[in-house]
Amino acid sequence: MPGLLDQYLPLVIFIAVSAVIAGALLVVPFIVAFQAPDPEKLSAYECGFNAFDDARMKFDVRFYLVALLFIIFDLEVAFLFPWAVAFHDVGLFGFWSMMGFLAVLTIGFMYEWNKGALEWD
Amino acid sequence: MVATVFLFYVFSIVAIASAFMVIAARNPVHSVLFLILAFVNAAGLFMLLGAEFLAMILVVVYVGAVAVLFLFVVMMLDVDFTVLRQGFLQYLPLGATIGAIVLIELVFVLGGWTLQPATVTMRAAPLAPNVTNTAALGRILYTQYVYFFQAAGFILLTAMIGSIVLTLRSRRGVKRQSIDAQNLRDRKVAVQLRKVPSRAGL
Amino acid sequence: MAVGLTHYLIVAAILFTLGVAGIILNRKNIIVILMSVELILLAVNLNLVAFSAFLGDLTGQVFGLLVLTVAAAESAIGLAILVVFYRNKGTISVEDINTMRG
Repeated sequence: MPGLLDQYLPLVIFIAVSAVIAGALLVVPFIVAFQAPDPEKLSAYECGFNAFDDARMKFDVRFYLVALLFIIFDLEVAFLFPWAVAFHDVGLFGFWSMMGFLAVLTIGFMYEWNKGALEWD
Repeated sequence: MVATVFLFYVFSIVAIASAFMVIAARNPVHSVLFLILAFVNAAGLFMLLGAEFLAMILVVVYVGAVAVLFLFVVMMLDVDFTVLRQGFLQYLPLGATIGAIVLIELVFVLGGWTLQPATVTMRAAPLAPNVTNTAALGRILYTQYVYFFQAAGFILLTAMIGSIVLTLRSRRGVKRQSIDAQNLRDRKVAVQLRKVPSRAGL
Repeated sequence: MAVGLTHYLIVAAILFTLGVAGIILNRKNIIVILMSVELILLAVNLNLVAFSAFLGDLTGQVFGLLVLTVAAAESAIGLAILVVFYRNKGTISVEDINTMRG
């Protein structure tokens, strides 16, 4: 197992370097920058008068449906990766088992297309 | 080896701390972000165990999709979450007691078990040397565990159809493009020729 | 001190306990309950992968993949039900989900 983890050393170095850079950019403004804090600078600005309500808005539920369908197809693609890597080893049976899996999900895809879940309005 | 031990403790401590913050955070948005942190650290633990493929799937599917879905729902529902927080302190003794009992039971189980020596001979899919984790998974997932695989497909189908049935609303009064009707429309339907008599009009 | 199987099992046990405690503590907020269920399933997956690695048997990882699939489908459907319930009732408090009480 240590041999496996050695291959991930570049990744660890990459994460460490990005953490150092991000941390430096986070800390440096507190030390270097000119600071004149004022509550007006942080208040909500809406064309000269006070904000009417909260900045948080309700999302449309259609965004949720798109995200949900994305998860399903994300998992489908996740199942495709080991199949592609081991394609020469799984043989004809493995090929057709994946075709069956894809057929099942294609039925779902046709259902959602027919229902109009992929259309925006 | 020292690095492995160090990484194990870093990943597990951060994972446990962020799991604690998931249930203790006041703001559900913070809960979701701590859930993401817990999943990333669990992916690190999977990586230490040599399960590269599951670690990648955990990052791609959970951090990339499921956590975003949770964040969507938190942002989508315009709910006053301080009301939902009420009763946290009221349930704290009960929750702490039950949690402690479960943990003590689990510790007893962990302290008392041993492995049968014959277990090693009963492996259903022994790890082969010199095969990457993803390839080894691919070799058995589609042949030896074909029923698992097809069951996963049907679960995904159920989730897809269920979510469409639950959340899709057909909107009335929306003018959509109908490509079939557009293409079937020809000169006979679209153009009318009329003889217009002089000085009479239609 | 080498990291053994027991270390991973202890981490998974603590995560599981935190998930169970989260369900009890946040019993009004169904979103946090769903997140606690995700934590419990993560602990289960950690157990499966740890046993798979230390026994040298790949079956645990195959089962872990299935658990991941089920968990993703569960959270998708659970959140969809939550969205529909909020649209009909205007609340997501667990105490208000009582129309099936006889």
